[in-house]
Amino acid sequence: MPRRRIYNPVTELLTAALLVVLVLVVNRWEFSLGVLVLGVLPAVLFSGRARRIGLALALVTGPLLISSLLLHGLFFPEGERILLDLGIARVSVEGLVFAAVLGVRTSVFAGVLLTTAMTLDIAELLATMTHRGWNRKLVFVIGSAVGLIPHVALRGQQITRAQQARGFVVGRGPFTRLRGLLAVTTPLVIGLLVDASERNHMLEARGFSATVARTSYVPDSDTAGQRVFRRLLVLGVGLCCAVWLIVTVPG
Amino acid sequence: MSSSSAPAAEPAALRPRRLLLAAGGTLIVLTYLLLVILQPTELAGGMGSVAALVSLIGFLGGGALLVAGILPMLSTSSLVVMPLGIALNIAIGQLAGSLGLQIYLDAIGTVLVAVLAGPAAGAATGAISNAIWGLFNPFALPFAAGAALIGLLAGLAAKHGLFRRVYTAAGAGLVTGAIGGLVAAPVAVFMFGAAGTPGTNAIIAVFRSLGDKLLLAATKQGLLSDSLDKIVVFVLVALIVHALPQRAVRQFPFARTQRVIGGRGGGRSAARGNDAGTA
Repeated sequence: MPRRRIYNPVTELLTAALLVVLVLVVNRWEFSLGVLVLGVLPAVLFSGRARRIGLALALVTGPLLISSLLLHGLFFPEGERILLDLGIARVSVEGLVFAAVLGVRTSVFAGVLLTTAMTLDIAELLATMTHRGWNRKLVFVIGSAVGLIPHVALRGQQITRAQQARGFVVGRGPFTRLRGLLAVTTPLVIGLLVDASERNHMLEARGFSATVARTSYVPDSDTAGQRVFRRLLVLGVGLCCAVWLIVTVPG
Repeated sequence: MSSSSAPAAEPAALRPRRLLLAAGGTLIVLTYLLLVILQPTELAGGMGSVAALVSLIGFLGGGALLVAGILPMLSTSSLVVMPLGIALNIAIGQLAGSLGLQIYLDAIGTVLVAVLAGPAAGAATGAISNAIWGLFNPFALPFAAGAALIGLLAGLAAKHGLFRRVYTAAGAGLVTGAIGGLVAAPVAVFMFGAAGTPGTNAIIAVFRSLGDKLLLAATKQGLLSDSLDKIVVFVLVALIVHALPQRAVRQFPFARTQRVIGGRGGGRSAARGNDAGTA
């Protein structure tokens, strides 16, 4: 069951972004691991979508972590302490440490952003953006794109099935595959452009290009307290980063 | 990005937009110069935390400033096609994966919008596309500026008639891919240690085994992979645009006035790699 929402999506997104900034600035594996275990893990577990987020995290970060381990673990010419010499590939301590530290940092980056995004209420985010006076064209593009993605994917599948019913088979060669992609993409784009043309006329008829302020029918869930909290958060993280960099960066 | 007139006649409303565009472009260029030319010493063997932060904030912030400057100047017809481009980027990127293709094809929507609606719309589509994709795949987020550059260059190529023939589109794709690869390499290195797909990692591993530094190896890989990817994407978009009904293309003022697919518009001749008509 999805968790009960406490904060506005803008507050949640900002908090996630600032956490990523903090992890990048501090850049210690202990800190990254701490954020991962004490911040990201509980957030995933209490999100009400732990299984979905966990699966998405594994699918997104898993291949990247394995790639990183293989790349830096086997090919790290800067490494001096060699554990295993395999000819062109050498396993070095420095390479493994580099892969591990990057792996933890990358996991925090993906974990924080993916957890926030997957528990985000897009409609509420768009409503807040409208209430806060964000560019309405940006709000339209984001809202429309998020709504279109599943529609485009579904239409792509339908066209693929229709083409397969007419004998469309994807072979092994790259040119055959590209031809297959073209057979699906062309009708997909034509259909979407026809839709876009109709949407264009409808938007113009409803005064989309007018410059007057918009009224949102969705109530504003953002509060003055959260706005103050956001400002303080930015200020606090900015100060922490500045102090950390002054203290730790040599010269 | 917009071609206009003498500064004296410039409407006051345009100035902040141009300032935003200039600030965005400058931030991206400065970030690139800082990361590549100055090359912070910590990157050679260390983690490069400051470099990662500079990379994230510089490229993402630059992309955001570009979008803020571009969006107000776009017409409704350009705006309605942008979500389509963004959705295509994501859907076709996934479809390419399911077909087992070895290239990304995640810029088809950006290039399509750039060809139909112009370089500004293409750049905004690229940047917003990666920002939205970041909701499903956070690793796409830091590449927003590179995606904007792809859209901008594709639009400029269309403006100069390079999409009228398939082979000129392929040439434009090669150049755009090379530039995109150069811009994406420092992001990949400083944010994720250049880790990517098994295919791209294999290329980096070859260069690393020859003793190249990580940034150099990732740049060489970017030049190879991104160039190939963009050649395919540009050719695909050229074929798609030439296969579109003339009416569908003509609804876009940029495509109409710049005659991006030549005089005749639609038709199948260009899809065979020949002329699509030249006015």
